[in-house]
Order: sequence, then structure tokens, then C-alpha cells
Amino acid sequence: MGSEYAIEAEGLRRVYRTRTGWLRPRREMVEAVRGVDLTVRRGELFGLLGPNGAGKTTTIKMLNTLLIPTSGTARINGFDVVRDTREVRRRIGYVFGGDRGLYDRLSGLDNLRYFAELYGVPARDQKRRIAELLELVGLTGREREPVDGYSRGMRQRLHIARGLLHRPEVLFLDEPSIGVDPVAARELRQTVAGLAASGTTVLLTTHYMAEADELCDRIAVIADGRIQALGTPAELRHRADGRRVVEIEAYGVPDTAVAALRDLPGVRETALEERGALQLLTVQSDAHVDVQGDVLRELAGIRLGRVNSREPTLEDAYVAIVNAS
Amino acid sequence: MKTLRLIGIGGALAYRALFNWTTPAMYVGTLLAGPTFQLLFFAYLGRQLQVADDRFFIVGNAVLAASTAGVFGGTMAVANERRYGTLGHVLLSPRSRTVIFWGRVLPYAGNGLLITAFTLGMGVLLLGLRLPLDALPGLALALAAGSLACGFFGLTLGALGLRFRDVWVVSNVSASLLLLLTGVNVPREGLPAWMISVGQLLPITHAAEAARRFAAGEGLSAAAPQLGWELLVGAGYALLAAALLRIFEAESRRRASLETL
Repeated sequence: MGSEYAIEAEGLRRVYRTRTGWLRPRREMVEAVRGVDLTVRRGELFGLLGPNGAGKTTTIKMLNTLLIPTSGTARINGFDVVRDTREVRRRIGYVFGGDRGLYDRLSGLDNLRYFAELYGVPARDQKRRIAELLELVGLTGREREPVDGYSRGMRQRLHIARGLLHRPEVLFLDEPSIGVDPVAARELRQTVAGLAASGTTVLLTTHYMAEADELCDRIAVIADGRIQALGTPAELRHRADGRRVVEIEAYGVPDTAVAALRDLPGVRETALEERGALQLLTVQSDAHVDVQGDVLRELAGIRLGRVNSREPTLEDAYVAIVNAS
Repeated sequence: MKTLRLIGIGGALAYRALFNWTTPAMYVGTLLAGPTFQLLFFAYLGRQLQVADDRFFIVGNAVLAASTAGVFGGTMAVANERRYGTLGHVLLSPRSRTVIFWGRVLPYAGNGLLITAFTLGMGVLLLGLRLPLDALPGLALALAAGSLACGFFGLTLGALGLRFRDVWVVSNVSASLLLLLTGVNVPREGLPAWMISVGQLLPITHAAEAARRFAAGEGLSAAAPQLGWELLVGAGYALLAAALLRIFEAESRRRASLETL
């Protein structure tokens, strides 16, 4: 199959039907993905960003054959994800973040040996391939220890090694850096960048804008089951052009105060991020309106830390896109 | 060759990964000591009630001993994938599901055979059972057939685990049914007709009958029909497990029924 695209999705839609209760069952229908169209070129590193429940993982599961789309079509290197399941599976790797997904009782090496069998890595190549991957993810020397004792970062690196065993042409990385410490996350980003440089097509979902900004050739922002914006990181950053951002460290900002800030003249977006006891309040406004004074007046009586005014970043653009959806 | 590797190496690795009772304490306690005490319990109860002789209970319980490893092991071979969150990665394999999961049954069947031989040995040692030497190959055959059938029966229950989260309930009930309906401890002649019919379709019913014939010094020709039935029952469960795995996997893709994907 000679398609120029590694991933093609047209009108991809997925509805979940749930049933709760036995005597009086309640049926619900949730439309998780509502018509996603996207194409990813071979060798491209493509980011899929979106808030929790936006439809990122469902989209990936349809693309990697674990779920059948309710409607629409998708192809991986020209192979249809519903009809040509086996051909698609030969060509893809799937890595997701978190602690689960590995056999805790086995060593890292045995986990890789088992999945090498499952993914059809020829016997004569297995030893060399596994050694290469252990080296790549920095687990050489620890491979004979039970996975039970691995740190989260080590598990995550083993996940990546597993996903690469059969040299997939397309790699799905579903929030691979979730819960990983900053050093391990940086190593992970280097590994992912290296894979893309070697020609592997990567579809990455992440919550971390800096990660997406640093790695991705193009990014799609998905919210409410639809692609809301698509472009290079620079193009998406332009979505926040003409804006100014005030960042305020605070303690105990009530929701009512955040709502009041939204009504201030010139304010376009507000976001409140919890960082332990500290809260980071981000206020986006029109660039020509200085809202800092008004904002600080609204927060009178609340304990504040550092106040910073800056140019918008990709994250600000992302917040603007998601809030507009 | 690749298929053989998936069955052999893949099956052995999956056994170590998914079988809960591999630690020495769990193995000895659950799979060796438990069946031995069960054997003694039924043998002494049988003596007290004069239901049958020691050989009936020793051979019956030795065959039954394979069921713990087979039924629960087979269930663990699928259901524990949920526990580790690995099911999605297994289902993303382009290899044949039937080969992957049938391969997983073999270590459990081998394990069952080992346990059943141990239990029989304990019957010989503790209760003084005498077995003709020339009966041993036939006995080994009957015990192996029973262990294999139990493994595939367990895999069938495990396949249900793709659809129903509380599959252990089914395994627990099944273990009790094997105790009651297969004639290992309760002579089947005394059971109601419907129970006898159900017992015919369960693993170890025919293996126990064949093993008793071998233990009584009867030859292969006398035990062959029961041996054949046991293999047929095992093959039936192997096919049923493969069909259920296929159906439930397809359903999971349609209905997103595997929440651990």
C-alpha cells in the first residue's frame, strides 16, 4: 500500500452505550468522538492534545484497532483498521502511561521476551533487539529485576521498549509521561524525538504543552469529541496573538472570584491551576488593555505570591481553543 | 516453528506471569497439602460410611487434584490480564488468539499432572494403596487426559472473564460441581439422572473412570472408551474456549466492554 499518509481518519465517530442497574436499567449514550478527520504523514510526530474526556484515548483506540468506530473510516499505512486488523497490528506500537500494563511478577527482560513472541519478532532477532531496546531506554543492567520493584519512570521506559519490539512503523503514545519525574520525562522526550528522526510515525497524546511544543511537527487540539484546531505549534500559538497574559500565584481563590475576573473589561480567558496549596491563576486579556490593576483589585483580601505579566505561550493558545469549544 | 515457540515459550512465560500460586508456600499449601488432606478426608469418610473402598477415593481424588491447577489456572490465564492491565497489549498482537491461549493451558495441564501424581503417591504412602506396576503407564495417560481437559475447561471459564468481571464466582462454583458431579467422591450411580448427564460433559468424569479401571489392573482396551470420552470432552472445551475468546474479543471492540484496555 503506497499511501503517503501513515494515519488517515475520516469522519471518525464513536458512541458508547452504558447500562446501569438491574431491576430498572438506565441506558445512556455518550458520544465520545464526534467526527474526527485527520491525516498524519509518514515520519511525522503528531500531537493530539485535549482535556480529560475530550476523546483522545478513544480516537487512539479506534486507530489501533482496539475499538471499532461507530461510523467513519481510518487507515494505517493504507490498511483499514476494521477490515485489515492483522495488517494494521503488525505495523503499530501502542504505549500508554501509568503503572499498569506490565506483568509485575516477571522481570523486565521476560516481559519483553513474552511480548516479542506475541508481536512475532523472529527468534533469531529477539536477543539483539531486546538488548538494543534496553540500551535505548536505559534499562540495561536492571532487566533481570522483577517489574514489581521498578519505579514509575522505569516502568514507563519498559512500556516504550515493549511498544518498539517489532519495529512498528506507527507508534501511538498515549500520555507516556504522565506521573514521570522531570528528568525521566526529558529522557522520554529525547527517545521520542529520536524515534521520529529515524522515520517512525508517532501520534502522541499529552497534557504537557511544553512536551508537545518541543516535540510535535503538528498538533491537533481535540475537545468535546471534535478537532478544534490543527496546525504547527507556531500556528497554534498565533491563536493567542493580540493577547497578554497575567499570571498570579495565590492561595485560596474562590470560584466566585474567578467568575468575577471573567467579567472584567478586556479579559478573554481565565484558568486556575492547583499546585498543592498554591494556585496559579492565569488571566488572558486583549494586549492593548492593561487588566493587571483590575485583577489585583478583584483579588483584594486573598493571599497572593508572585505576579507576572508575559507573552502568550502554546498553553495559553490551547486554553483559548478549549474554552472556545 | 514460530507457532511452537508461542505455545512453548509463550505459554511458560504466561504461566509465570499470571499463575497466582507459583510461590513455594502457595504451591505447597494450595496444590499439594490441600488435595492430600481432601483425599484423607474422603477416604476416612468412605471407610466410616462404607460407601466404597480406599481405591475408589484415592484414585478419584488424585484425578480431582488436577482440577485446582487446571480450573483456576485456566481462569487466571485470561482473567489476571485484567488485574495487570495487559489485556489490551495481548489483544493487539497480530498472532492467532487460539494459539496464544491454548499455549497457556499446557503448563497448567502439566502442573495438574504433577499434582495428581503427587496426590496418588500420597494415597499409596499414607493409605497403603497397591497399584500393579503395569498399570502405571495407563494411569499416567488417564491422569494426563484429565489434566488437559481441566486446563481447557478452565480456559473456557477464563474466556468468560473477557465479558464478565466476576468470573471467579463461576470458577468457585465449577470447582464444587466437579467435586459433586464427576464421580470422584460420590458414586455416580447414586446421583439423579440430570446430574449424571451434566457430569458426562464435565472434565475428569471419564478420566476418573478410566484411571479406576487401570488401577484395578484392567488393560487399555477396558479403559479406552472412557479415555476417548475424556479427550473428546477436553477437545470440546478447547474449541468452546477458542470460540468464546473470539466472540468476546469482537464484542469488546464493538461495545468497549473491556474497561482495562
